[in-house]
Amino acid sequence: MAKHLRSSILANGGDAEVLAVRAQHESAERGLKHRQLPSHRKRSLVLSAAALLAIAGITSVSVAAGSQEQAPTPTAAAALGRTADGSSGSSAKPAASSSASASASASASASASAVVPAPAVAATLTLPAATPTHLDVPSIGVSSDLLQLGTNPDGTAQVPPLGKNSQAGWYTGSPTPGQLGPSVIFGHVDSKSYGPGVFFKLGALTPGEQISISRADGTVAIFTIDKVVQYPKDQFPTIDVYGNTDHAALRLVTCGGPFDYSASSYEDNIVAFASLTSIKG
Amino acid sequence: MTRVKSSRTAAAALGVAAISAMTLSMSGIASADTATGTSYQADLVQLNNSGASGAIIVQLDGNQATVTQRVSGLAATLTGSPYPHLQQIYIDGQGKCPTASSDTGQDGVVDTADGQLTYGAVGSTLSMTGDTTAAAATNVATAPTGSGWNYSRTITLDPQSLASIKAGTAVVVVRGLDPTSMSASAQAAKSAMDPALALTTTAPALCGTLIASQVSTTPKASPNTGGGSTAGIEDSGLFAVGGGLLVAAAGFAFGGRRRYWRG
Repeated sequence: MAKHLRSSILANGGDAEVLAVRAQHESAERGLKHRQLPSHRKRSLVLSAAALLAIAGITSVSVAAGSQEQAPTPTAAAALGRTADGSSGSSAKPAASSSASASASASASASASAVVPAPAVAATLTLPAATPTHLDVPSIGVSSDLLQLGTNPDGTAQVPPLGKNSQAGWYTGSPTPGQLGPSVIFGHVDSKSYGPGVFFKLGALTPGEQISISRADGTVAIFTIDKVVQYPKDQFPTIDVYGNTDHAALRLVTCGGPFDYSASSYEDNIVAFASLTSIKG
Repeated sequence: MTRVKSSRTAAAALGVAAISAMTLSMSGIASADTATGTSYQADLVQLNNSGASGAIIVQLDGNQATVTQRVSGLAATLTGSPYPHLQQIYIDGQGKCPTASSDTGQDGVVDTADGQLTYGAVGSTLSMTGDTTAAAATNVATAPTGSGWNYSRTITLDPQSLASIKAGTAVVVVRGLDPTSMSASAQAAKSAMDPALALTTTAPALCGTLIASQVSTTPKASPNTGGGSTAGIEDSGLFAVGGGLLVAAAGFAFGGRRRYWRG
C-alpha cells in the first residue's frame, strides 16, 4: 500500500507541490554544498510524499466531518399546521376538466360515515383507486418511484429496504393517494450503510408546500401539507395517521429524533399530514 | 437419513412460507381497494354533556383485537381519587348510540338501561389488565382512570363480539360522569348495572359505533424508518481513508528520517 502510494506520487512528479517542495530542498542542498544528489533527491521526494499524504488525510477527515448531517426536525409552527379557515386549501382549484377521474370525485359526498370532523380543505375532492407510482416533493428535493409495502407477520408496517437507492413506499393497506381516507407513505430518514434516505429532509417541510403523486391511471394527485409533527415512537399517533378522514388525505412518515443505539432505532417519528388540493391529468 | 428429511422439510417449509408471503402481499394489495379489511374504528362522541371526546381503532387478527384508543375531557377525579372510567364493547343491539331522547327514566341522565335499547349488551370489557369479558364490565379496579388516556391493548374476543364488530353493530361505551354536574336525585341513584356503584359511575360519557376503517389493516406500533447512519458517524469510510493517509504520512516521514537523515 505504502509502496504503491509512493510510486504513484513519484509518478506524479509534475505536481506543483512536489516540484515546489523539491525545489526548496534542492536549493537548501546547494547551499550546504552537499553533492549526494540521489540520496537527497530521494529524501525530498519522501518528504513531499509525506506532506501530500498528510494534506490528503486532513482533507478527507475534514470533508467527512463537514458532511456530517443532522436530519431536520419540524418547527413548532409546522406542527400547528395551516390555519383552520383553510384559506390555502380552498384557494387551490381542482383541475376537473379532462379526465374520467373528475367525475368520480363526487364520491366523497357519500362519505357520511367518516368519523373525523372535516378540515376546511377542499373536502369533496377525491379520485378513484389507482396504484401510486411516483412521488415528488420539490421543496425538499424528493423524487422517488414508489414501492408497495404491506405488513410484517408481527403486524407492524413493512418499510422500504435499506438499500443504496433509498425509495419511498406506499402502504398497500391504506387507500391509494387521492382516494377518500388516509393514504400512507413510508420512507427512510437514513440507512447505516448509505447515509441520508429519501425522507431525510421530511422534517423541513412546512405547511402549504406541495406533494405530487403520479398514479397508474395517468393522473397526478397534488396534496398540500397541513402540518408536520414529530412524535416519540411510544406515542405514535396511530389514530391520526391511520384513522378515517372525510377527505383524500396523505401521510408521509419517517423516523427522527435521537437515535437509540441499543435498540438500533430512532426514538421519534416525523409525520407530514397533507390533503388533496388538486388533480392533474 | 433424518438429516436429509429435515432439510427437505425445511425446504418445503421455506417454499410454503414464500408462497404464503406472496399470497399475503398480493391480498394486501388487493384489499386496499375493497372494504374487506380487518380494521374498525369509532369516533367517540359525548353523551350526557360529558364534554369528553375520543376515538378508537380495533384491528382484528383472528379472534385477537388490538385496541388503540385516545380519550380526553372526562371527569378526572371521583371523591378525590382518579376517576375509574368503565368501558365496554356492546353488541347485538341496533349498533347505535343513545341520544338525549333515549332518557326513558326522565331523570336527565341517559343511563345504561336507556342505552341498552340501542347498543345492546356488554360483549367485551376494555379493561387495563386482566379479564376482558363481560364479567369484568363493572370492575372499577381494572378500568382506566383520569380525564384521558392513550389505551393500547390486545384482547381476545368471544365469537359473539367478533361477529358483532364485523356486522357493524358493535358500540364502544365509556362511562363515568362528574357527580357534581348531576341533579341531586341522579347523584343519589344507584347503578342498574351494578347496585354497588353509583348511577353516575356507570352512566355513559362517550359512545361510538365501530365502522370499517378506510385503512384495511392498521399496522401495529410505529414504522421503523431509520437505519441510523446520520445519527452517528456518516462518512466512516472517508474518515477511515483520511486517518489512513495521515498514518501513512507519519510513517513516510519517520521512515525517511531513519533512512536518509542519519548524517
